[in-house]
Amino acid sequence: MPPLSNLKIAVSLSFILFIAGCHSPTDNQNLIDYNAQFPKISGGTLINAMTGEPSGLISMIAGESASSAISSNIFNSLLKYDKNLELEGDLVEHWDISTDQKTITFKLKPNLKWADNNPLTSADVLFTWQAVTNEKNASPYASDFLLVKKAETPDPQTFRVTYDQAYAPALDSWAGLQILPKHLLEGKDLHTTAFARNPVGSHYYKLDSWKHGEHLKLSRNANSVLGPARIDNLVTRIIPDNSAQFLELMADNIDLMGLDPIKYSRIIPARPELQKKLALYKELGNSYTYMGFNLKHKPFDDVRVRRAINYAIDKQEIIDGVYLGLGINIASPYKPGTRWSNPRLTPYPYDPAKARALLKEAGFTDSNGDGILERDGKPFSFEIITNQNKEREKSAVLIQRRLKEVGIDVQIRAIEWASFISRFIKTGDFDVVVLGWGLGLDPDQYNIWHSSQQAPGQFNFIGYNNPKIDKLLEQGRLELNPDKRMDIYHQFSATLLEDCPIIYLSAGYGLTAIHKRVKGIDDPAPPAGIGHNSQDWYIPQSLRRNEISAH
Amino acid sequence: MNTQTTLFKKALSNPLSLVGFIIIVCVFLLSMLAPIVAPYDPNYIDVKAILLEPSMQHWMGTDGLGRDVLSRMLYGGRISLLVGLVAVGISTAIGILLGALAGFYRGWVDTLIMRIVDVMLSIPSFFLILAVIAFLTPSIINIMIVIGLTSWMGVTRLVRAEFLSLSEREFVMASRTLGAKNSRLIFTHLLPNSLTPIIVSAVLGVAGAVLMESGLSFLGLGVQAPQASWGNILTDGKEYIQFAWWLSLFPGLAILITVLGYNLLGEGLRDALDPRSGTNH
Repeated sequence: MPPLSNLKIAVSLSFILFIAGCHSPTDNQNLIDYNAQFPKISGGTLINAMTGEPSGLISMIAGESASSAISSNIFNSLLKYDKNLELEGDLVEHWDISTDQKTITFKLKPNLKWADNNPLTSADVLFTWQAVTNEKNASPYASDFLLVKKAETPDPQTFRVTYDQAYAPALDSWAGLQILPKHLLEGKDLHTTAFARNPVGSHYYKLDSWKHGEHLKLSRNANSVLGPARIDNLVTRIIPDNSAQFLELMADNIDLMGLDPIKYSRIIPARPELQKKLALYKELGNSYTYMGFNLKHKPFDDVRVRRAINYAIDKQEIIDGVYLGLGINIASPYKPGTRWSNPRLTPYPYDPAKARALLKEAGFTDSNGDGILERDGKPFSFEIITNQNKEREKSAVLIQRRLKEVGIDVQIRAIEWASFISRFIKTGDFDVVVLGWGLGLDPDQYNIWHSSQQAPGQFNFIGYNNPKIDKLLEQGRLELNPDKRMDIYHQFSATLLEDCPIIYLSAGYGLTAIHKRVKGIDDPAPPAGIGHNSQDWYIPQSLRRNEISAH
Repeated sequence: MNTQTTLFKKALSNPLSLVGFIIIVCVFLLSMLAPIVAPYDPNYIDVKAILLEPSMQHWMGTDGLGRDVLSRMLYGGRISLLVGLVAVGISTAIGILLGALAGFYRGWVDTLIMRIVDVMLSIPSFFLILAVIAFLTPSIINIMIVIGLTSWMGVTRLVRAEFLSLSEREFVMASRTLGAKNSRLIFTHLLPNSLTPIIVSAVLGVAGAVLMESGLSFLGLGVQAPQASWGNILTDGKEYIQFAWWLSLFPGLAILITVLGYNLLGEGLRDALDPRSGTNH
């Protein structure tokens, strides 16, 4: 045998050994007991994924969830919500409300610093308020802050705002405004500044690198105003497709992702190897799905028709069939179990007989015996439109079937999001929509229900106009006493339920899978959700990924 | 025996195109008989039977709303075939008309029509269709029309070329000399003699249209819920591909096999038509 062949064999042998060597860590991983006790130490990297890449990290300009998901780790606000959804100071130590309820004075914590070591003072807060209200910046969040008549900084640690009249959602709005550094942004155009891609903040993390289309890496900010976070690096990978994200989760390349009900209750439980390494979390979601009527179109202006349709739809069936039971039947537009949700209200039950009776009362009869009701010779037929969201499409199919049973003919159309908004919602060119609303933490829903909010692009696109509701919404904005405010919004929910401008279909749960290497997560989730203490999450040394392979 | 029948006979003597022919016949029969062979109502929702694996009760499993996939596949086949045939009908009709005009009258008519063809061919047809559908309401009828209106160019070129060469042939010249009218020349001489290549292109066109409809439905711009089509069953399956493989596999296979069937038959017909293909008449 010529010597060359020996070399070949040696090379291929070492290659085999190399492959075998590569394989062993995975084998080890299967043996790791993730449920053992581990010491609470700092360090490590947490990798998650998002579907869309932020356009920039100044969230008041970007106005999108992708941006604020990242920037909320970089910037602080004046206030924040604690785990029980009560307001507490973030940058401020305490705040006072004047007796006439029109002036709020914020006192900043002492010795605050930006990540670049410059001091953070009330001048930065004033600058941020000026930026968000500056017409040139066209911030989508401006309206709350335009109500501030006067903003002043008596000293570097004090920031005072005065409103024309008491404005109850004010504190919530300050909890949502991320404070920007004046010394880096003064005189710059916020739409074009390089700061949006290279921000300097004050929170737990700072931007380390941003690889366009691939990932954003945040690393710990040594100057963090709230003290250090435990995990060193947060890497957010851009993976536009949900199924691709799930493949990455299964392959151990990301640590957490939001799940849909099928993944949560069917796919993961069916696979022992996934169950072994993934912990599942369920928390009340921050949104609900509804079916909304275009109240300017006949016959939806008739409350009997709206109620009839509500009785004809089996909401529990939608929760079971579409959300696999992972949803709640609601009767008010608030997160169930919070103080704003009215516990005395009950959802419309499924009662087709009552639906038929109400429709008959409204003048609908099946005069030609084709199974579809008519009024004035015209069949009761309408189109449900929704965006291309699987859950909403499925809900619409279930609704279609139930309405057919009481003699209403329904067509369904799923439309791509951009044209859905511009061609149908903004123009009011629709009969019925199936959509969702996010639930803010403040009960004020003026821009969704008040009759003044019907211009194209505004949120009252169903054309709801009820003087009683208008009045309650106006009162609710002026009332700062939490108990009185609660009464107002309980009345508001009751009136809304009775008038039925929309049908609540379900409030889904927020479902998350997190790799078991991540420890320190509150389970069960507190009202604020599992993310509230993410700065205390930690990854034990022995469970960390090989950092090189992690990016 | 006329030329078309001979052509088919010759094509079917080729085993591959025979397979294609059998596939098409089977798909046709199954879809036409869907109301009889389908075990369930394709739109019957059973929220207690969501995403069941294939079993004796549900041969192809159930989908995200507990509907029987086999039944939906059978009814979906009707949509795919209907769209394929009608769209090709439309495109062939337009193609013959314009091709005949261009090839018969020549001159500026020919130049104008052929430039229109060039312009249409320069636009990627799938994106053109996407744009048009985005403006219209997505529905079966619109899809058939739009696919038809954007795929006639090949037929036009084919017919024009046939007409150009046929009108130089002796029998046409003779007929013209005898004083035959243009309509007689076109309908009794030129058109019947160009029919064979048109049939080949139509058969291949059906495959393209079936694929196009599946693509559009997959993107949510095709057939609307709750109606089934192979494309939208495939979309439903996309999300659960690691788990509910049956939702992706069966419609994918159906599209594959059907398109393959049309292509095999089309290729066979083309070979049979080609005088260089070797076999004797």
